[in-house]
Amino acid sequence: MLTSEETERYARQIVLPEVGGPGQQRIKAARVLVNGAGGLGSPVLAYLTAAGVGTLGIVDHDRVARSNLQRQVIHGTPDIGRLKVESARDAIARLNPNVAVEPHAVRLTPKNARAIVAAYDVVVDATDNFPTRFAIADACAAERKPLVTAAVLTFYGTVTVLKPYETGPDGAPNPGLRGIMTEPDDSVVPTCAEFGILGTVPGVLGSLAATEVLKIITGVGTPLVRRMLTLDLRDMSFDVLAYEDATP
Amino acid sequence: MLITVKLFATFRQGRFKEDRRDIPAGATVADVLASLAITPPEVGMVFVRGRHAEIDRPLADGDVVSLFPLVGGG
Repeated sequence: MLTSEETERYARQIVLPEVGGPGQQRIKAARVLVNGAGGLGSPVLAYLTAAGVGTLGIVDHDRVARSNLQRQVIHGTPDIGRLKVESARDAIARLNPNVAVEPHAVRLTPKNARAIVAAYDVVVDATDNFPTRFAIADACAAERKPLVTAAVLTFYGTVTVLKPYETGPDGAPNPGLRGIMTEPDDSVVPTCAEFGILGTVPGVLGSLAATEVLKIITGVGTPLVRRMLTLDLRDMSFDVLAYEDATP
Repeated sequence: MLITVKLFATFRQGRFKEDRRDIPAGATVADVLASLAITPPEVGMVFVRGRHAEIDRPLADGDVVSLFPLVGGG
């Protein structure tokens, strides 16, 4: 049941015929795990908080640095030096005290990933490195959790939804992360520290990822399963690539 | 053989977004990469007609090759 405070708070999305009271109840009952409280994680956490997701798990072992503040907008100047999960938890409480936060100030690895993701309904990959991305993807595939994964670099970004434990309309399994790319040598992967990132880029991609989470929870629209939305924010070109893995 | 090459993200810099080109019979994705001065370690994802492919994959007339660099930041 929604309280009168919640009904007023979420009025603008409850009035959407596609959401309504039942949709808002689903959002309130949902448990979402957000891996990474950084550039992508900030808008994900902010918008899922604003929308009233009942429980947000946050995984991030890192502390807020001054150079984060150009894009990691859930943190502020007084948070420099604090654990990101604690800084984010406090920002979430200020925005919406109805949201419960479960901080995990750890680095997610193949050893701990399954146990962490198992407790949630939907998982977001908002991390910044491929070893963690593959650990998350493997865990979500094993635990049958939908994974919204986004990535950014300079002026570009991608977002897609992975559900490899389900089949598509053609009867073939949906691709998982290992079905569409080989885990790279992390030492040669370009980083935002090295090549740069415009702060609004993770803002846009993170908002898109949060949108996909809410669509999955409420059943609204068509999530980006077997489709990758790629953005080039230099010329504002948005492309949707339909993809399959190599196995026919 | 006539193929279409689509480049994404940082691969577009100094190159193009989409290009149709004639390639010899038997050419592979690796040959296309070499023609673009893209080294295999730079590649994140390769799709041929929307299906994930390895770089030694031979190409066919009409193929659409989509090439992504390693984009993993957050």
